[in-house]
Amino acid sequence: MRNKILVIILTLLFAIPLFGQVDRSKRPEPGPAPEIQLSDYESFELENGLKVFVVENHKLPRVTYRLIIDRDPILEGDSAGYVSIAGSLLRTGTESKTKAEIDEAIDFIGASLSTSSSSIYASSLKQHNEKLLSIMSDIVLNSKFRKEQFDKLIKQNKSGLAAQKENPNAIASNVRRALTYGKDHPYGEVMTEETLKNVTLDKCEDYYDTYFRPNIAYLAIVGDITKDEAEPLIKKYFGEWKSKEVPSHNYDDPEPPLINKVALVDREASVQSIVNLAYPIDLQLGDEDVIPSKVLNTILGGYFSSRFNMNLREDKGFTYGARSTIATDELVGRFGANCETRNSATDSAITEFINEMESVRKEKVSEEELNSAKKYLIGSFARSLESPQTIAQFALNIERFNLPKDYYKDYLKKVNDVTLEDIQNTAKKYIKPENTHIIVVSNADDVADDLKKFSLSGKINYYDRYGNKYDPSMKEIPEGMTAQKVIDNYVEAIGGLKAVKNINDKTMTLQGSVQGNQLSLTVKQKAPNLYYQNLDAGMFKQTAVFDGEQGYRSTNGQKQMIEGEELETFKFQADMYPFLNYDKYGIEAELTGMEEVDGEEAYKVKLSLPNGDQPVRYYSKESGLLLKQVIPITTPQGTSKQVTKFSNYKEVGGVKFAHTVTQQMGPQGITMEVTELKVNTGLKDSFFEVEENK
Amino acid sequence: MRNLFCSLILTLIFSGALFGQMPEIEFEEYNLDNGLHVILHEDHSTPIVAVSVMYHVGSKNEDSNRTGFAHFFEHLMFEGSKNIPRGEYFKIVQGNGGTLNANTSFDRTYYYEVLPSNQLELGLWLESERMLHLKIDSVGVETQRSVIKEEKKQRLDNQPYGSLLEETFSHAYDKHPYRWTPIGSEQYIDQAKLEEFIEFYNTYYVPQNATLSIAGDINVEETKKLVDKYFSGIPRGEKEIDRVDVVEPPQKEEVRDTVYDNIQLPLVLHAYHIPAQGTEDYYALNMLTNLLSRGQSSRMYKELVDNKQIAVSTGTIPLSLEDPGLFLAYGIVNQGVKADSLEKAMQKELNEVKNNLLSEREFKKIRNQIESRFVSRNSSVAGIAESLANYHVYFGDANLINTEIERYMDVTREDIKEVANKYLQKDNRVVLYYLPKSQKENKS
Repeated sequence: MRNKILVIILTLLFAIPLFGQVDRSKRPEPGPAPEIQLSDYESFELENGLKVFVVENHKLPRVTYRLIIDRDPILEGDSAGYVSIAGSLLRTGTESKTKAEIDEAIDFIGASLSTSSSSIYASSLKQHNEKLLSIMSDIVLNSKFRKEQFDKLIKQNKSGLAAQKENPNAIASNVRRALTYGKDHPYGEVMTEETLKNVTLDKCEDYYDTYFRPNIAYLAIVGDITKDEAEPLIKKYFGEWKSKEVPSHNYDDPEPPLINKVALVDREASVQSIVNLAYPIDLQLGDEDVIPSKVLNTILGGYFSSRFNMNLREDKGFTYGARSTIATDELVGRFGANCETRNSATDSAITEFINEMESVRKEKVSEEELNSAKKYLIGSFARSLESPQTIAQFALNIERFNLPKDYYKDYLKKVNDVTLEDIQNTAKKYIKPENTHIIVVSNADDVADDLKKFSLSGKINYYDRYGNKYDPSMKEIPEGMTAQKVIDNYVEAIGGLKAVKNINDKTMTLQGSVQGNQLSLTVKQKAPNLYYQNLDAGMFKQTAVFDGEQGYRSTNGQKQMIEGEELETFKFQADMYPFLNYDKYGIEAELTGMEEVDGEEAYKVKLSLPNGDQPVRYYSKESGLLLKQVIPITTPQGTSKQVTKFSNYKEVGGVKFAHTVTQQMGPQGITMEVTELKVNTGLKDSFFEVEENK
Repeated sequence: MRNLFCSLILTLIFSGALFGQMPEIEFEEYNLDNGLHVILHEDHSTPIVAVSVMYHVGSKNEDSNRTGFAHFFEHLMFEGSKNIPRGEYFKIVQGNGGTLNANTSFDRTYYYEVLPSNQLELGLWLESERMLHLKIDSVGVETQRSVIKEEKKQRLDNQPYGSLLEETFSHAYDKHPYRWTPIGSEQYIDQAKLEEFIEFYNTYYVPQNATLSIAGDINVEETKKLVDKYFSGIPRGEKEIDRVDVVEPPQKEEVRDTVYDNIQLPLVLHAYHIPAQGTEDYYALNMLTNLLSRGQSSRMYKELVDNKQIAVSTGTIPLSLEDPGLFLAYGIVNQGVKADSLEKAMQKELNEVKNNLLSEREFKKIRNQIESRFVSRNSSVAGIAESLANYHVYFGDANLINTEIERYMDVTREDIKEVANKYLQKDNRVVLYYLPKSQKENKS
């Protein structure tokens, strides 16, 4: 215990260095800063509009090609997924080659080639360069999508969705995108089992035909090749590619939430929460805020030494890592903060995120933090130049986003010029601790209550794994379960069919009080459907009787025959065991969902009566017993519900009966206890006679 | 006849010339008096330098009641030293434009910084500080204890199939310390004490157990002087380093088990015992892996994913380990497919390589793939520094960075068939089924 209170410092090596000439206490000074040089690139354009960049790098005998289709993002709507499937189809067949032939050709030269809906990447050793180009060009120019390959991809995507169901990071990403951008935005929509059903081969073919056009394409060539070598090859392999006008698309800008909103995905198996704070921002590559925002992000959560990580990991030990992102994008950028933390620390982690976000707005960061972040960014920039792909990426960005030609050459100077004021101003503009989605994927039982404090209304919104909001009291129906099975389970639970049918008559008295008035209800029933009911509430007395054919109601001595539709309903209500005879009365039972009844998971069975009434009955998943019945009632004042709950089941004559019945209608509530319950006492049919008054 | 003979010779010359094209990685290596091995590679393409230290200690050196210890210690190496206050290590590197990290495997622990080349001396100072006089306190230990438990949750416990490696090794090994994985178990992470860390440090984190590998924009002669300045004064460790000499007894019969996990798609895994990395059979097995699962024309991908469509993914991996390791073959089923039908189809592909010699064309293909991968991998100074250290630590020959490909090229078609028969045997394997938890509930 002392260990935890006292900080014990142990020096692990006792030897005092003998080499006195080295002063280890002083950090070595750096040598003169090396010059960071950006290598050049060359470019040319084919007649069909294909723009080509060449970045020479002869260190390794390799050449890589990256083809980019620069189209506007596409809203796929109810067939979300077809664009990415079209991208996968690209590698599965051309006019002259099958998938197996393409695969073999790529692998035989030890190359790699991958396709997506808006890019193709291909790479091989220099000696196989032309072979690689011929494969790639065949795919770009002559793809032919085949039915069997399409069907296979649909199947694989279905499996992929199934696998994703259990992957907390995939779930978090779906929900983050849906909330940040909205489901009606191309960045926010997700493929689901439903949308996959609407994906057709036609749509995929149409996508390829419409968008794979040289006039919106860039080709970046990197490696052991010169422009003079490349140009004739590219003309040869891509010169025949036909241009065609390509449609453009515009979208409304998503907005951050007006107040903080808490979104929870309940994943029961989670032993760790995935925490995301996210909202859209308006920031495009080339905006003057971009570089200050990079420095700001570095300080806040962009590297190990950032505030987020130092606080949540190194100080609190909540997480393996806490990070943030400020991403630019041509349509809409985003801010994101994220970590994965044990369930019990979820709310504390969110609090720290918000604290840091507030603090970077309120106060200027220190000079030391600023310098450290700048040096880190400059160092990262230098390291990134080791890969010749970086220069190709710069070239693409300059061209695609209309950046000044020297944008990247001036990058380091611009980083150096960022001031403490710039950081605070940028923070005030882009860091929004009061307008963020707070998204958590975790076991709701462990975290839900602690998350309420982050929402002004105290409300948490529940989302499924695709980012659809749902009511958490609704759970999924177990596979194979039906209404009939629920009813069978119920019969079994109360004693079994034989025991139930063995009950010939029943006499039951219930007592309770409402607003101080004693209330007594006596029900007598005889198989198959003879019924008597007497309600005594002091001032109010009512009797109802049914003899199997006819019925009447007597209120405070005033007798009235029951007729028409009401009589039909009475017939069914009078049945000794109506749940065995739904067919006979034309009642349809449907299992519509799962819901919790006082903390107990229950099957929700909706009955549709011939008169249009739809009472709903809730049966416990665990015990099988009836827990609750809800009858919608239409009154002149509007619709309301009569809710009856059943509990305290006790066995009488081999069958379990609820001994406590609670009824709620509007604000009125009454609890009634069974004071007497007898079965098979030999009630006479004459007791239920309708013609004579009792 | 003459013509044919001629063209054969031409082919040979041509392919010889091909290897000649491969850029050679030049380096210098030497030992300091205290036993520290130093490797230096000079490359001025980018003004950066990778400074790395590989300690020859991994999870296999742990006590069975302290699994996860080597990895835990790795975290503590960032705590500070006599001249570096707690929490400053990362800041110093990143605040000077560098990046850094470390990782722990079964066999070794590796630390590196990549810095602007004018900060070489800083990198040497940092690494020598923590080799000479690391400083840790109980606050640091407790914080990292929490962090590591989160790391374990994030990487394994909260992920579908996250326990796969752990389950594979615990089923495959009975005696050898490969029976646990570097992340270890939470129980022992909780028990590890400060004094034990000191003992571990004094035993394994000593110059004669370390390799300092530096690659990048350096001047070799100046670098040697700096290395001498910061490392030559570090005393040699006084404790005997226990090398693991446990020999896992041959497996006698198939081990088969089922793991119920939070997954939707079942996974089938075969793990066969194979010899250590660097052995002739290991190279043949590596070629076999290419044949079975590298690229979409590979046998298992083509048959299981494309033709039969019973798997969404499949693969084979010969794990490179210092002691005899495992050859893994696995598949994840497509929706609606039973795990055992996938296993049968996997088995069919394994039988095929055992029964029939692969074609000349397939053989040429996998040689091309190996060559392409070998040529492409030395693309960063950080990668080169690590490769050089690896080859030295495991094989005592850093020059394998240039020559190892010959060992692959020596493998014949017959060798591949032979190792398939020798190792891919029923009695020599562990079979694991990963099934959805819901199937367990249905069972009971």
